[in-house]
Amino acid sequence: MRLILEVWRQESPRVPGRLEAYEITDAREEMSLLELLDRLNHQLVEENQEPVAFESDCREGICGTCGIDVNGVPHGPENNVPACGQHVRSFADGDTVRIEPFRAAGFPIIRDLIVDRTGLDRIIQAGGTVAVDAGTATDADTLLVTHEQAEAALDFAACIGCGACVSACPNGAAYLFTGAKLQHLALMPHGKMERGKRARSMIAQMEHEFGPCSQIGECALACPAGVPLSAIATLNKERLRALLRRKDN
Amino acid sequence: MSSPTPAPPDRDPIPQAARPATTPPPWPQTWILKVIMAVTGSIFVAFLLFHLAGNLKVFLGAEDFNHYAEWLRTLLNPLIPGSGFLWAFRGVMVASLVLHVYSGTTIWLRARRARGVHARKFLLRRIGSRTMFWTGLIILCFIVFHILDLTMGKVVAAPGFDPGDPYSNLIHSFSRPPVAIFYGLTMALIAVHISHGIWSVVNDLGGTGKRLRNVVFAVAGLIALVVVCGNLAIPVAVQAGILTVG
Ligand code: HEM
Ligand code: FES
Repeated sequence: MRLILEVWRQESPRVPGRLEAYEITDAREEMSLLELLDRLNHQLVEENQEPVAFESDCREGICGTCGIDVNGVPHGPENNVPACGQHVRSFADGDTVRIEPFRAAGFPIIRDLIVDRTGLDRIIQAGGTVAVDAGTATDADTLLVTHEQAEAALDFAACIGCGACVSACPNGAAYLFTGAKLQHLALMPHGKMERGKRARSMIAQMEHEFGPCSQIGECALACPAGVPLSAIATLNKERLRALLRRKDN
Repeated sequence: MSSPTPAPPDRDPIPQAARPATTPPPWPQTWILKVIMAVTGSIFVAFLLFHLAGNLKVFLGAEDFNHYAEWLRTLLNPLIPGSGFLWAFRGVMVASLVLHVYSGTTIWLRARRARGVHARKFLLRRIGSRTMFWTGLIILCFIVFHILDLTMGKVVAAPGFDPGDPYSNLIHSFSRPPVAIFYGLTMALIAVHISHGIWSVVNDLGGTGKRLRNVVFAVAGLIALVVVCGNLAIPVAVQAGILTVG
């Protein structure tokens, strides 16, 4: 299969980037998009050119490291699938595929397709944790959680932190990400103890670097973990709850 | 002699913008603005439905309609004398409008900044949400026009405006095709604005329940449809000669 790849090349955060076109003549349908980039890099190295810098780790949809915009859509044409799980079979022979880094003001480009997503880490640092003495593992049934509650929390804990929601959002907002963490922890007994405090600090931190939500809904379509769109409502729910309750929990 | 050296280059590979925030978050915080939007927007939607019910009295004839207009002016008499209630109501509407426009514009500006320089491609399936600011702006122009035309009878009003005869004022105004068309188009834009707006309200006030969200999503479309169809019937009827003076 023949594909034209238009890839974003940028040497450093401080120089302007550009799209460059490369031809791949031996793409195969079963290749993932990351394997397609691997193929391109082999070719570039053989031609003594600089390979394209991109991130990946698990390549099975659990780590959230991969992240590219494909034809203007985070991760690629299939909804709710990470780039490592998207395949060349989504394209036809001879297609031009535009591959760019995640796009948002909160994600400055480091090099080529690699962006700085530490803005999301800072949101987690602001309260996406539970302040318990971990010590040695306690008995599994010390804190009882029903099966239904665990399942509900897991829907939101599923977030792999890739940042696709931010890139998908025309407002550059991180509501799905932040809301998922707030909802996940609000449903668990450990998390409940700091529910109000967490909402205040995580939301304040989020507002430093990311945009406002206008209920556009693109985030939930892009999310490779399938976090439900209701996470964006969780954000204001938790914040209003903290406002009215005026307590840390 | 040493020559002045330029400021040392910023060697940090992470751009300034991406380092930990040391400034306070934007003020007022977006979540506050969103709650303001939701409350004022809901007030407007309630008003629109109330206004529609009143407007449709035009089909009952001049007497009914003018009687209703008079009733509005003297509402809650004698508890609140004169047009007291009407003015209090107008005060609430103006305050809501100022807050709504201020919050909406601030959110829109913040969104543009956070999006970055690489604009997202225009998505037709999200047209309502992407155009809230522009539909809002046209609605704002319409509100000014509408008040000048039918409440105050100034500048844009049809000739022969009579403050005591709202029915005739309405018919005369809508007999002008450009006014009827402008009115109709604005109603369509209001429908687009509120169908996304009502859906936004449930999100901004923290509605996370599955059933609630589905119901509001459907109700939003239904209210938008009712508002546009109901209000459109009036200029159409005037232009078709069904509603006439006398
Ligand atoms: C009949 C008049 C109007 C009605 C019924 C109305 C209704 C609404 C509602 C219900 C919302 C959703 C609020 C929320 O976020 O929860 C909204 C949002 C919005 N309105 Fe209005 N509105 C009106 C006039 C205006 C005007 C005059 C503007 C002027 C610029 C405006 C600009 C906006 C904007 C920009 C948003 C979106 C905010 C966001 O991105 O979340 N609206 N409107
Ligand atoms: S590489 Fe781990 S999710 Fe794609």
